Amino acid sequence: MNIFLYLDENTWFHRLDPRTKIIGVLLLFGIVMVFNHPLYMAAVALGLVLLGATAKALPNFWRMRYILALLVVFSTVLWPFFAKGPTPLWSWGRLEVSRESLMYAVAMGLRLASFVAAGLIFLSITTNEEFTQGLIRLGLPYPVAFAFSTALRLVPTFAGAGATIVQAQISRGLDVESGNIFQRAGKFIPLGVPLFIYAVRHTNMLAMALESKGFNPGAPRTWYLNPQMRRADYLALALLTVAFLAALFLRLQGYGQVLPRL
Amino acid sequence: MKAVITMWKNTRMIILVAVCAAIYAAALLAFKTAIPLIPGITEVRVANIFPMVFSLLFGPAAAWGSAIGNLIGDIFGGTLGLGSIFGFIGNFLLGYLPYAMWTTLKPIADGKRELALGNWRSWVLYVILALVSSAACGVVIAMWLEVLGLVPYPVLVSIITINDTVGSLIGGLLLLAVYGVVRRQLRLIWWEVMELEDIGKPAAGVLGAWLVVAGALVGWILGAYVLSGQALVIGIITTILILVGAFLM
Repeated sequence: MNIFLYLDENTWFHRLDPRTKIIGVLLLFGIVMVFNHPLYMAAVALGLVLLGATAKALPNFWRMRYILALLVVFSTVLWPFFAKGPTPLWSWGRLEVSRESLMYAVAMGLRLASFVAAGLIFLSITTNEEFTQGLIRLGLPYPVAFAFSTALRLVPTFAGAGATIVQAQISRGLDVESGNIFQRAGKFIPLGVPLFIYAVRHTNMLAMALESKGFNPGAPRTWYLNPQMRRADYLALALLTVAFLAALFLRLQGYGQVLPRL
Repeated sequence: MKAVITMWKNTRMIILVAVCAAIYAAALLAFKTAIPLIPGITEVRVANIFPMVFSLLFGPAAAWGSAIGNLIGDIFGGTLGLGSIFGFIGNFLLGYLPYAMWTTLKPIADGKRELALGNWRSWVLYVILALVSSAACGVVIAMWLEVLGLVPYPVLVSIITINDTVGSLIGGLLLLAVYGVVRRQLRLIWWEVMELEDIGKPAAGVLGAWLVVAGALVGWILGAYVLSGQALVIGIITTILILVGAFLM
């Protein structure tokens, strides 16, 4: 099963230093957070689609289309009942929907989808190795980064094993699709036990393999992957910083706000 | 809390972090669409049978493993975002609180690390810790997502709490099945893998445990059902209580 979202393309975005990609996606998250007016959020969302097209990340947007659509619908349906606005449109008992809360709800739906879109662009242009290397270069201690990258590498193995276990147990007569929620969840124990034992047995072998090669979590290291910050990286970070500050300035001037909250 | 930092010196504990994270993430992905609650948002997270079991077996490695596993689930699931930050912290607590409170939640806990699985008192403690750690995780994540304006606190805190509690309770069966194998055959129980001086003794563990209980239950019940209009304020205060309590353990 292919669970990776990285798309092997040769774009300007793909060639950026992993530190730039990590800081860049944080700045994009910041821009997504600034406005709560649906028109401004629509502009931000459109900007992200254009960025996604430039980074050739649209196949991943298409792959996640149902989740993106459901996020917008869910948020739009839920928020009108929790955010309060001054212009009532409809009320029933304690439930009240206002014009502002409805607009806020649409904006929050777009915000949620924009978060996912920004994350998808990042994951489409960054390999797991680059992500880990970027985190280390930004100050993450090596043992933590090692555990993270090892886990990333083990996930497809364990996910594949999980899928095989499900099929094996179904072929033995385990019915995972009938019964109420609790009964159905309980049926996953015959799946969880073999997956757990299969995975944990790896621990001792992996630890012995590492120790026999002289692994020392605290020792200084050299790197095979050695990315460098170039002019394009500084330019990308400068552009995103300016965009974030401009958005923040607009919001502080009262633009892009339908309710006085984040 | 000391063991959470000192465990990074121990190769086996580092591998356990990676293995816990990978199992959790793999289960999140493999069983993601099994029983959807709100399509695209949340489902009955079958993977939640793992964090509490990991916690009681692998201690601090489970805390980091659950946190990293959830982050990887977000990465491979395509839902990486600012919400992932508090998803990391919430799942860290889900893996940290059960083992930390197993010895500190006195007088319910007897102070011994060994799991006496044939003793009813252990199972009472297990049920309480399943609820408290799930509510703590729910309060922290729901508070943050309300601050970000993504999902209303009263809705999400209850979904996460109930979802995680059910997962942890079902996980009790998994614990019964694998405890002997991990303890006697694989010899990977956390307090035997780590050096005794690296584990340390909490200075105010009992106080910390009860702060977490108060923060988690008040944050969930008051914020979701009694004073939902003030949910964000309640969420922030109880999140601080939970984090301070967790730090004291």
